[in-house]
Amino acid sequence: MSLIRRDGGEIEALITDRYLDSLLAIQPAPHLAGSPLDADGSLGAAVRAVSRRLATDLPRFHPSFRFEERLALRLAEVAASMRLPVAAGAEGAVVPIRELRPSIPDPLRAASDDDDERGDPRPLLIGGAVAASALSLAGAWLAWRRRTSPMARAIRAAHSIRQLGGGA
Amino acid sequence: MARRALWRSGAAKDAVPRIAHLDRDRPLVEAAQREPARFEALYRRYLARVYSYAYYELGDHHAAEDATEATFVSALTNLQRFEERARPSDGEGASTFRVWLFQIARNEVAGERRRARRRPVEPIGETVVVDPLDVEATAVRRDEARAAWQAVGRLPGERRQAMVLRFVDELSTAEIAGVLGRSEGAVRVLIHRALKSVARDMGVSKRSGDRPGSES
Repeated sequence: MSLIRRDGGEIEALITDRYLDSLLAIQPAPHLAGSPLDADGSLGAAVRAVSRRLATDLPRFHPSFRFEERLALRLAEVAASMRLPVAAGAEGAVVPIRELRPSIPDPLRAASDDDDERGDPRPLLIGGAVAASALSLAGAWLAWRRRTSPMARAIRAAHSIRQLGGGA
Repeated sequence: MARRALWRSGAAKDAVPRIAHLDRDRPLVEAAQREPARFEALYRRYLARVYSYAYYELGDHHAAEDATEATFVSALTNLQRFEERARPSDGEGASTFRVWLFQIARNEVAGERRRARRRPVEPIGETVVVDPLDVEATAVRRDEARAAWQAVGRLPGERRQAMVLRFVDELSTAEIAGVLGRSEGAVRVLIHRALKSVARDMGVSKRSGDRPGSES
């Protein structure tokens, strides 16, 4: 019994829903006859009448123009902050960074003259470190050259001969 | 030699399509997700609807403004998370931007209602907007609008929300089901019972202009 009653209620609700669909679809003149479901006596007159009244009598409200523009301004500010999220200490302009990782060459590609034009993709280190390394290398080379030059060897030989002759 | 990703194509083939309908707002939503400044178009489209919903629920302009503002700010900041999750069985309109927006509005209205309990509320019947030039019709319309609103306003929570969403915001039953988190059938029954209740409250069956004999 209760199942039958519930099914009947659901069917009524479905018919009401279809009626509301047609009623709201013809919203500009709902008081005029001609709703396709009006002729169907399966929907209660009270439900039909109150549906029409609510469709016409319940207005849609619009906030004040001042509120609308104030909220639009706030949303624009929120949108701007979302576009460039700034962390502490990162307030400067965003600068694109060149890819540091060199592209992996195709091993099947034959070497050609174009290779020189591509340039070296390897990144440069900080200039001071390079200069310090270069000075160190130059000092070591000079020391090696000084220690092994013929002039140095001749001077050291003459000095040792003089010492031997003087001692004899 | 690179392996062929056959598993990917197999997975795509077996995947069930999750979206069965087209959200009418999808182009605007996608544009706003790419560029948040373009959210303004959605804001202008739905401002009056969200505000009306909040105003009918709260009965106070200031509270409705607060709820409206919170709704749109929340929608904008969370827009990247919005996605249509409907399955074909959920029916058309089950997961659209405006369902998502009204879900947010419903939460904000509930929060505002909790806050508003500590503040005096202006009766909504005193502020119904009508045409100021049509004096005679204005009085009649004002009375009718007030009576309609008062009858709807006396309904319990979900019935009242469903009625406002249906008649003022003109959402479909499937969309209201998405907003309220109920099935379509439950929303249909909710609205049908609400209409009967309002009809009894307004005495529509006795005073309506229906043709004699049309009442079943």
